[in-house]
Amino acid sequence: MNKITVHCTVNHKPVSVEIEPNKRLLDMLRVNLGLTSVKEGCSEGECGACTVIYNGEPVTSCCILAGQAEGADIITLEGVSVDGKPDVVQQAFIESGAIQCGFCIPGMILTAEALLMKNPHPTMEQIKEAMSGNLCRCTGYKKIEEAVALAASRM
Amino acid sequence: MKRRGTGVGCMFYGIGNTGLPNPAAAFVEVLPDTSVNVIVGAADIGQGSSTMAAAVAAETLGLAIENIHVTWADTQVAPEGGATSASRQTFITGNAVKNACTQAMGELRRTAAEKLEVPEEDLVFRNREIYSSKDETKRMTYPELMGAMSYRGRLAVGAGYYNPKTTYLNPADMSGVPYEVYSYATCILEVEVDTDTGEVTLLKCVSAHDVGTPINPKMVEGQIEGGTAMGTGFVISEKIDVDPKTLAIKNPTLSKYIIGTNMDMPEIYPIAVSSEGEAGPFGAKGLGEPALIPSIPATMAAIGNALGVTFTKTPIFPADIVKAWKDKQAAENQG
Ligand code: FES
Ligand code: FES
Repeated sequence: MNKITVHCTVNHKPVSVEIEPNKRLLDMLRVNLGLTSVKEGCSEGECGACTVIYNGEPVTSCCILAGQAEGADIITLEGVSVDGKPDVVQQAFIESGAIQCGFCIPGMILTAEALLMKNPHPTMEQIKEAMSGNLCRCTGYKKIEEAVALAASRM
Repeated sequence: MKRRGTGVGCMFYGIGNTGLPNPAAAFVEVLPDTSVNVIVGAADIGQGSSTMAAAVAAETLGLAIENIHVTWADTQVAPEGGATSASRQTFITGNAVKNACTQAMGELRRTAAEKLEVPEEDLVFRNREIYSSKDETKRMTYPELMGAMSYRGRLAVGAGYYNPKTTYLNPADMSGVPYEVYSYATCILEVEVDTDTGEVTLLKCVSAHDVGTPINPKMVEGQIEGGTAMGTGFVISEKIDVDPKTLAIKNPTLSKYIIGTNMDMPEIYPIAVSSEGEAGPFGAKGLGEPALIPSIPATMAAIGNALGVTFTKTPIFPADIVKAWKDKQAAENQG
C-alpha cells in the first residue's frame, strides 16, 4: 500500500510520519512514534483507554485515521510530565491512590487534563461528567474523581 | 413508579487454596547502603502485592519503605509464589517476606549485639535504628550497622517461605482444616428501582471488611470500591452471552457487555475493620475477592426489598424486574 506522510505536532514537537493510509492515529502513536502510554482497550470507541488530547479535546485515538491528524496538535501522557516529573494531575492520582492496574490511567489523566485546561475549577458534577467516557475495571472510580478534584484544588 | 430498597450481604471467606498446600517464597538482601532487594513470585496486577511486600520488609527490618526495591513475578529470578488467586498473596507471600527478612536479620542481630555489647534478644530494629529494649542509650544507626557488617565480611541475606496451616480434606465428609485464616465482611446497599422501566439506580453502599491489619489502608479502600463496582455490575448489567450451539461469546465488546461507568456507581463508603492476633504478616489477611462478594447479595436483596419479591438468580436485568413486578401485581389482584 502506498504510504502517506502525516505532519502534526506531538507532545509539543513537530513530527512527520510515513504511514499506511488505513492505519489509525492509535497505531501511529504507539507503533511509529513509540508512545506506548496510549493504550488499546476495546478498539471501538467504548473504553477511553486510547484517549489523547487532540486540538485541546479528549478524543479516542482508535476512532481516528492517522491521515485525519494532518496539522493536529496531539498530546499523550508522555507530553504531560514536567522535566520528567509528574505534573499536578499525575501527582494527585498518585497521592489519592487512584491507580490500580493502571491500564485506564493514561486515558483518565489526559481526560482530566483536557477538562482542567478548559475549566480549572470544575464542580464534582462536572468532573463526573467529563470522566464518564473512560472505563475502569479496578477502582470503582471514586479515588479517580477525588484525584481530579485534588488536582483542581491545586490549579 | 420509583421504589427504594435496602439490602444486606454478609460473608466469610477462606484465604488461600482450599485444603491444599499452597506455599510462596521470598528472597531478601539488605545491601551496604541500607537499600533492600526483595524478590517474590507474586504477580502484581494492580492489587498492590509488591507494595505490600515492601511494607512488610520495611516493618520487619526496621527500615523505611523507600529503602525497599521489589522484583516480582520474573520466574528467571523469583522463587515460587503460587498463583495470584484465592486472595492469598498478602497472607502467604507477606509471611514469606517476613520469614526471609527474619533470616537476613540473623547476621544483623549478631553484629549489632557485638557492637552494642547487649544480648541479641534485647535488640529492637525500628526507624532505621537498632537499640536495646533494656537500655535505649545503647543504639546505632542502620548505616553504622551495615558498616560493621562490611568490616566483618558478613552479608544480610535471607530466603523464606510460608505454607498455610491447613489439612487435606477427608473426601468422605470434607472434614479437616480448609483454611488457616478467614476474612469477614458486610455490605449494605440502597437502590432505587423504576418499576415501569426496570432501571436500577445504585444510591449508597457501605462495605465493611475485616482485613486483619490493613497494610496499605488506601489500597484497601480502593479494592473495596473496585469490588463494589464489579459486584453491583454482576447483578444489574453484566452477562456473558454464550451461543449454546457454537459456544462462541455473543457479546465480546464493551458496547454489549456493559460494565458500569463512574455515573453508574453508588456513593461508596469503604470501611477497613482491623482485627488482631491472626496468622498473617502483622495480622494482615486477604481482601481481593472479599472486596466484591458481599455486594452481590446486598444488591440482589436491595432490589428485592424495593419490589417486595425475592430474586434467586443473577443477573437481574430490567426485563426481569418489570416481569417480577407485574407478576406480583397480578398475584395480588387475584388474591
Ligand atoms: S481503545 Fe479506543 S476507546 Fe477503547
Ligand atoms: S486501574 Fe485498572 S482499569 Fe483502571
